[in-house]
Amino acid sequence: MLDKLTELLKASGVYGWEITDEKKNGWEFYFIRHALDQHRAKNVEHITVKVYQLTDDGESIGFASSEIAPTASQDDMEKLVADLAYRATLVKNRPFTLTPPPEESVSAGKASDIADISADFIRAMSELPETETEDINSYEIFACDVSRRLITSTGIDQIEHYPSSMIEVVVNARREGHEIELYRSYYSGTCDAAGLRRDLEKTMAYGRDRLIAKPTPVNGTIDVLFSGSNACPIYSYFAERMNASLVYRQMSDYEIGKPVCPAFTGDRVTVRAVRELTNSSENHAFDSEGALIRDTTLIEDGVAKRFIGGRMFASYLGLTDSFNPTNIEVTGGTRSAEEMRAGRYLEAVEFSDFQVDEITGDIFGEIRLAYLHDGDEVIPVSGGSISGSMNDFAGSMLMSRDSAQYDYMKIPALTLLRGVTVTGAL
Amino acid sequence: MKAHFSDYLSGMKAGLREMIRILRKEYDYVSVLATDSRGINVRISQRSRSVASETMTTERGIVVRVCKNGQYAEYAFNQFDPAAPGKAAAEIQGALEAQLVMLRLAGVKTYDTPLLPDEAQTLFVEKETLQLPETVDVKALVDRLGALSDKGMSLNENAVECIVTAQSTHICKMFLTEKRDLCQSYVYSEGAAVLVVSREGNTQVAYESLSGLCGPELFDGFDAKIVKAADTAAELLNAERIEPGEYEIIASPEVTGLIAHEAFGHGVEMDMFVKNRALGAEYIGKRVGSDMCTMHEGALCAENVTSYAFDDEGTLAGDVTEIDHGILRTGICDALSALRLGVQPTGNGKRENFEHKVYTRMTNTMFDSGEDSLEDMIASVEHGYLLEGMESGMEDPKHWGIQCIIKMGREIRDGRLTGRVVAPVIMTGYVPDLLGGICMLSPHREVFGAGGCGKGYKEWVKVADGGPYLKTKARLG
Repeated sequence: MLDKLTELLKASGVYGWEITDEKKNGWEFYFIRHALDQHRAKNVEHITVKVYQLTDDGESIGFASSEIAPTASQDDMEKLVADLAYRATLVKNRPFTLTPPPEESVSAGKASDIADISADFIRAMSELPETETEDINSYEIFACDVSRRLITSTGIDQIEHYPSSMIEVVVNARREGHEIELYRSYYSGTCDAAGLRRDLEKTMAYGRDRLIAKPTPVNGTIDVLFSGSNACPIYSYFAERMNASLVYRQMSDYEIGKPVCPAFTGDRVTVRAVRELTNSSENHAFDSEGALIRDTTLIEDGVAKRFIGGRMFASYLGLTDSFNPTNIEVTGGTRSAEEMRAGRYLEAVEFSDFQVDEITGDIFGEIRLAYLHDGDEVIPVSGGSISGSMNDFAGSMLMSRDSAQYDYMKIPALTLLRGVTVTGAL
Repeated sequence: MKAHFSDYLSGMKAGLREMIRILRKEYDYVSVLATDSRGINVRISQRSRSVASETMTTERGIVVRVCKNGQYAEYAFNQFDPAAPGKAAAEIQGALEAQLVMLRLAGVKTYDTPLLPDEAQTLFVEKETLQLPETVDVKALVDRLGALSDKGMSLNENAVECIVTAQSTHICKMFLTEKRDLCQSYVYSEGAAVLVVSREGNTQVAYESLSGLCGPELFDGFDAKIVKAADTAAELLNAERIEPGEYEIIASPEVTGLIAHEAFGHGVEMDMFVKNRALGAEYIGKRVGSDMCTMHEGALCAENVTSYAFDDEGTLAGDVTEIDHGILRTGICDALSALRLGVQPTGNGKRENFEHKVYTRMTNTMFDSGEDSLEDMIASVEHGYLLEGMESGMEDPKHWGIQCIIKMGREIRDGRLTGRVVAPVIMTGYVPDLLGGICMLSPHREVFGAGGCGKGYKEWVKVADGGPYLKTKARLG
């Protein structure tokens, strides 16, 4: 079918086109406690076609896209190409050139054994050290072997295979007739059994502490320490604001060669887009438009160095060798864990849903568990919320030297935002 | 006109029926959900314009559910030859048996579940629409959204971008078993106007949406939304931070919907009862809100983006009274959870798409209205906020915590709006306290369906929610 579709597109006279063919072979297992609720398998193919049209005067380019069923007939394909060719003429954008073929060959990877990956997850979950007061409520395992092929009018024909896994786990903790739950979802390439066990043991400990937590007493501002994956949105904020789509549309005011905040009194962040991180679910050789993914420094020591992004907006900013980043690595911390953990601060470890708005800079999250540290005294607290703006925190934030990886993000293990507004629960 | 049911699905029916017959020799229960939903998605801004055929719910595929010896399993695929149903049946059996081999080696036990009933039923529904996404005049729509984006930019001197999106989806689904034959076709549409403003390093985003159980004709109502977004953007640029504390609040209908969704929407999804993940299971028949608090949930209790005729398990749509004058009466339930709990399914079994598992999910979640005017509600507030615009929310059904991120609050002092605006506002608290504090409700109700809802952090489906203006107390930060 792809051959026929390619021939139709070549003969259509359109300015350019892309075909993405993604095949997924997935296994899924749903457990209640450790009993199997359901098992599921899927074998699907998704073919997406994108057509570009340049106006005769070369002043504007338009594009339109659609998925087409892998079982589509010749008539279906002809109609699709005609529809897209017409629709692409209706939208007018500043012109840009399409991604050329890469100068170097791309590794294709290999098919993954989803039976082995699934078995590894099931074994890892069965070996967790559950107790009478902390145990596993339920979990869902997703293991998928993905192949992605991209064919374009510029001569790109690349294919890659990669594994993509996820496990969602609900942990229960109970005390004196009261039970709570803690939610976790872990994305990865394959099963990281040791990492899963380590984090779930910590989660069970958080459950114990949340059951004895006092209402968050603070009403005002305090330094807040992030010591887990909740810090990821803080660093996504920096990475997103370096994206050409936000910069070009004036939703980010970062400028190359200038600091990402007016003044630094804390650590200076360095942000890199990287091709590979160990067992990341986002280890791709090329992006959705065929551009090679390369290790690239976006922010260095707090100074914007290079914008990054997809072909259209990157072209508008005059960027070459650009791509849609996948993995992000953040460094720049200057302090040990001991130095980070000094004085009075709130260590927030469980939120309902911690968010950072990459456009406004607003941060917010309801506190499900935090530890109020004051010298040697540590009090578990729960309830209330934190809020503020990264516009105020970016220059004074502190980071640890050591790092931690959460799927496609490798970030400082500890992050301290200074002077965060806390609404207590009392 | 009627939203015409998919010819593609009609052409598959005989083959799928034969596949079911073959699979029934091996399995105790077999059902098929086949989908063919098409759409249009136009996105216009000052610096980027695109047209696509995909929306959140466009799909074409098949999912087969089987049960053998109390163990349920599913197989999802999108290449079916109606002339070769035996080949598909063999593929399904082979894939599921391979999983069972691995599961047996791992020593996994089954969560034994009774057999789903299969009573004879036929249904063919084609709902009314004025236009279809497949045949809409795309050029006219692009031009109209372009003009709206230009208008948005002209309404605020600090505007840096105005994004206008329009999506319309023609849903076609067919549910088959040995004895059941259900087909439905309907169209829903949704749109959004997003105005980004920036002044001296302060960037704000104003958002207005519209949605309905109708075709692209919905977008005729965009003009007022653009004006409202521009007004909101101007207010956000001058907004202050709120002083943290507990306040009297008046929730606008959009925020009321968010509270409904997060408070006792997720909290009474009964697949959570099966897993003992919801405190609500222990509160059936007990008080969870004030006398004024009545809440409905169901595809039939409003007409919006998720008002279907039957759910993804072939259960007919319903209208459930979840909370009746403050007393929690019941939850909502998918078919398998209903079997496990010994209750009737409510028509709330939904999938993200054919590739995904069914969970109990919301459809329209609505607070009932009251008799208080908004003016009287404002006049009754000593110091509080009128909350407008939803950003996001998160539930905690096991502990009844709630997080609502709200766009802005208008300060009320001594019964009057002061003109002071705070933003953003994070509302947190304990659900029974929030609902227990409800003391005034307006007669007017609105439904909002432009967003999506996840289960945890995945399984995104369309939902709608809403209600009247609602007065209660909450902790704001």
